[in-house]
Amino acid sequence: MDGKVIVVTSGKGGVGKTTISASLGAALAMQGKRVAVVDMDIGLRNLDVVMGLENRIVFNIVDIIKGRCKIKQAAIKDRRIDNLFLIPASQSDDKDAIKPENMIWLTNRLRKEFDVTLLDCPAGIEQGFKNSIAAADEAVVVCTPEVSAVRDADRIIGLLYAQSITPKLIVNRIVPEMVKSGNMLSHEDVVEVLSIDLIGLIEMDDRVVVSTNTGTPLVLQEESKAGMALKRIALRLDGHPDLPIENPMDKKSFWKKLGSKFNRKN
Amino acid sequence: MNFNTLLKKLMNKSDSKDIAKKRLKFALLTDKLEIKTDTLGNLQKDLVEVISRYFEIDNESIKIDIQRSEECSALIFNTPIISAHRQMGIPAA
Repeated sequence: MDGKVIVVTSGKGGVGKTTISASLGAALAMQGKRVAVVDMDIGLRNLDVVMGLENRIVFNIVDIIKGRCKIKQAAIKDRRIDNLFLIPASQSDDKDAIKPENMIWLTNRLRKEFDVTLLDCPAGIEQGFKNSIAAADEAVVVCTPEVSAVRDADRIIGLLYAQSITPKLIVNRIVPEMVKSGNMLSHEDVVEVLSIDLIGLIEMDDRVVVSTNTGTPLVLQEESKAGMALKRIALRLDGHPDLPIENPMDKKSFWKKLGSKFNRKN
Repeated sequence: MNFNTLLKKLMNKSDSKDIAKKRLKFALLTDKLEIKTDTLGNLQKDLVEVISRYFEIDNESIKIDIQRSEECSALIFNTPIISAHRQMGIPAA
C-alpha cells in the first residue's frame, strides 16, 4: 500500500514547524513506521540542524529532482532512530528550482518507499508553500496563541481548503500560567476563531531549545512535556485519531495541587 | 476565579487575551473582504460591457468602489446614463 504525505505548515515563521516536523518524524519512526522528513525550505534549510544530521548531507532534494542522484543517495538515515530518514533542502539553489509537478513526481516515489512522508513547509505562501501543498494528502497547521500566528493560520487554512485538504491544528507554546491570568489566548479561543479540528496541544518547554542546541530528538527525552505531547500527536496521525488530547491547563493544576500537598506535609 | 481576576472584573479591566480575540476576529473579517488590485478594474470592464448593451453610458464618469462599515461591506457602482438603446429588450445573441 502507498504511504501518505503530510505537510506541516503555518504561514507565520518561528512558530515551531521545523521542530514539530523533526519530532513527529522521530515519533512516527519509533512507532515502527518508515518515515521520510523532507525540508521544503530551498535556500534556507534548517531541518538538518534541528535533526542533528547536518554533517552528513551529500545530496539534496534539488539534486533528486534534477536527476543528479537517486532518492536513496539523498535520504540521510538517522543512526539513533531506526527507519527515520531526512531529505535535506538545497542551500544554494533558488526558491523556484522546484515546481509543484516535481513535488508530485517525488512524493509518488516516496510513497512507495515510506509509510509516512512529512513535508516541513517554509513560512509564507510563496513557491515553497505551493510546492509543499501540491503533493500533500493531509496537513497539520501549527499556530501559537498569538494574534499574528492565528491570523496567518487562518489564511493558510483557506488555501489548504482550496486544495481540498482539511487540515488539523496544533496549538504550540501554550503557557498555562498566562492563559490562567487572562494574558494569553487559550486553545479554545484559537479553535473558536479558526474553527478547525485540533490534533494536539503543546506546552511551552525549555527543553526544546536544549534539544535544538544539541541536535538530539526531543521525543527521546522522557521528561520533555513537549516531546510527550508530540509523541501523542504522532499516534493520532497514525491510526489512533481518538487518543484524547491532554490539556496543559489541567496538568498544571494537577501538579500544583500535588506540589502544594507536599509543601503542607513538610 | 482567583483574586487577581476578581480584582480585574471589579475594576472593569478586560483581559489582554479578550482584546487579542476581538482584534483577531476583526482582522480576519476585513482580510476576507480584501480584493486583488485588479479585481475592481476587471469588474468595471465587464459591467460596462453588459450595461452598454442596454444603455449608452459615459465611460469616463463611471465610479466603482467598495464601501466598508462596521456592519457590512457594499459594492457601489455609479454611472450616469446618456441614453437608452432603442433595441432594448432584444439582446444581441
